[in-house]
Amino acid sequence: MAVIETDALTKRYGSARGIDCISFEVEPGEVFGFLGSNGAGKTTTIRTLLDLLHPTSGSARLFGLDSHRDSVAIRARLGNLPGDFGYGKETTGRQALALLARLRGVDGLGRAEELAARFHADLDRPLGQLSRGNRQKVGLIQATFHRPELLILDEPTGGLDPLMQEEFLALVGAERDRGCAVFFSSHELDEVERVCDRVAIIREGRLVAVERISDLLGKARRKVSVQLADPPALRALSTVAGVSGLELSGDRASFGFAGDIDPLVAALAGHHLLDLEVSRPTLEEVFLTYYQGDGPATADGGGG
Amino acid sequence: MSQLEALVASHLSDRRRSLLSWGLPLGLMSAFIVAIYPSIESALTKAVQGYPTGLKEAFDVGQLENVEQYLQAEMLSLIVPLALGYLAVRAIASGLAGAAESGRLDVLLSAPLARWRLVAAGFVASAIELAAVLLLTAVLTLLGSAVADAGLSAGHAAAGFAEVWPLALLFAGFGVVACGFTLRTTIVTGAGAGVLVVMYVIDLIGKLDPSVSGIRYISVFKYYGNAIEDGINWLAFAGITAAAIVLVVVGAWLFERRDIDA
Repeated sequence: MAVIETDALTKRYGSARGIDCISFEVEPGEVFGFLGSNGAGKTTTIRTLLDLLHPTSGSARLFGLDSHRDSVAIRARLGNLPGDFGYGKETTGRQALALLARLRGVDGLGRAEELAARFHADLDRPLGQLSRGNRQKVGLIQATFHRPELLILDEPTGGLDPLMQEEFLALVGAERDRGCAVFFSSHELDEVERVCDRVAIIREGRLVAVERISDLLGKARRKVSVQLADPPALRALSTVAGVSGLELSGDRASFGFAGDIDPLVAALAGHHLLDLEVSRPTLEEVFLTYYQGDGPATADGGGG
Repeated sequence: MSQLEALVASHLSDRRRSLLSWGLPLGLMSAFIVAIYPSIESALTKAVQGYPTGLKEAFDVGQLENVEQYLQAEMLSLIVPLALGYLAVRAIASGLAGAAESGRLDVLLSAPLARWRLVAAGFVASAIELAAVLLLTAVLTLLGSAVADAGLSAGHAAAGFAEVWPLALLFAGFGVVACGFTLRTTIVTGAGAGVLVVMYVIDLIGKLDPSVSGIRYISVFKYYGNAIEDGINWLAFAGITAAAIVLVVVGAWLFERRDIDA
């Protein structure tokens, strides 16, 4: 059973767009990245999953339970880190954690203390006196200290220094290893590429891709640069299936390539090859492609 | 400790300063009022005899023949109920709308907590906070009386201050209803304070002009008596408290159905 399953989940604010027909699944133990520009609908999706917002239409199920009707039972099993962790300026992290532990029926703050030591978090200063990064550490602790089955993290590493980002990624890995699913929105595409199994890309409130990262990168156009001893032969590359944007400069051709690479290799085989470079795009480049309108119009949803 | 108890304790801890910031000035002012009474008693009686009848009725200064009547006229007919009503609205606005604005609500509602419990905890904490402020005010008033030998009856003073409690609670109830519509602290506070002032003015107009006295029935101040002299009207006390609880239930219902805006 999927940990998260949304079916045409839609949220509108009056006539304004929120999210539109969002469908995806997150499996147990999966780290699922949720990518999109500011205002694309990432936070609206997360707040709807958490029942902070009520959907206009469609549905979301977490652990097989309805996100609205069974919200309390669902929240007993998840941890959530809001985008900008706020609580109260005068409250210390320890006071906030103590209240949350009581609300969750957790005895003591043992694991919270362990996590605080790991992240060098100061639990005894009022949250209003902490930098955003240090507040975010307390937020990460409150999201994970009760060993949830699902972690929902909205821009979790904002404000963390590189060392703490590494600690965070290690924590995500450890949570996954114990079977926790992680749903994680981020602008840090390199960290998404490192830890996520699959990603969804949301643009203007609609999903435009839900893919395994390896598939997303595999299907994306690669950059190819070829240098031949016989420059006139380069023109023939424009007829090879998958080649696009061919640019010639002396004895060198540069172009984008998508699909099965065998026809390209066959086309080059009869020539004296001086140099060949094939580079896969980064997730950031793929992401930008979707945002420049070159990607598919919408995802077909579905998990898998 | 139950979720409700934990939330109430947390609310009270957050608002612990209000006991001093509201109870101390009100208590000191009230103590001063009773402390000066013995020295102005005779002059006051003569002065009040010259007041217009309507004015005396409007502000409960029909007679100022003892310190209880003076305390009623100076503090319990206007300043304390308006101040406590406003404090009640502030407490709710801070506990719900303020929590939404600070992001605290997002964190609390990530825990397995029903929204109605959050509302109930805010209301119960407000009720305790109001009782504590009234208690401090009453204690300081009695101290003022003891120091100046003003002869204020502890039982009468207790009744007078206790009568303010359900009245203030009602405005906490209005605050909860307002939170069902908006989670902006300034709007909730403004709406609650607006209802408070409008109700007071309606009651005042009804007292001043007998031809429109019927409008007083829509104001809670119609049911707020003069407990320091007459004792607590328990029917009114229970009725206003029940009305406050009804408002909280309506507010919780609205709150349950609304979006928690970021």
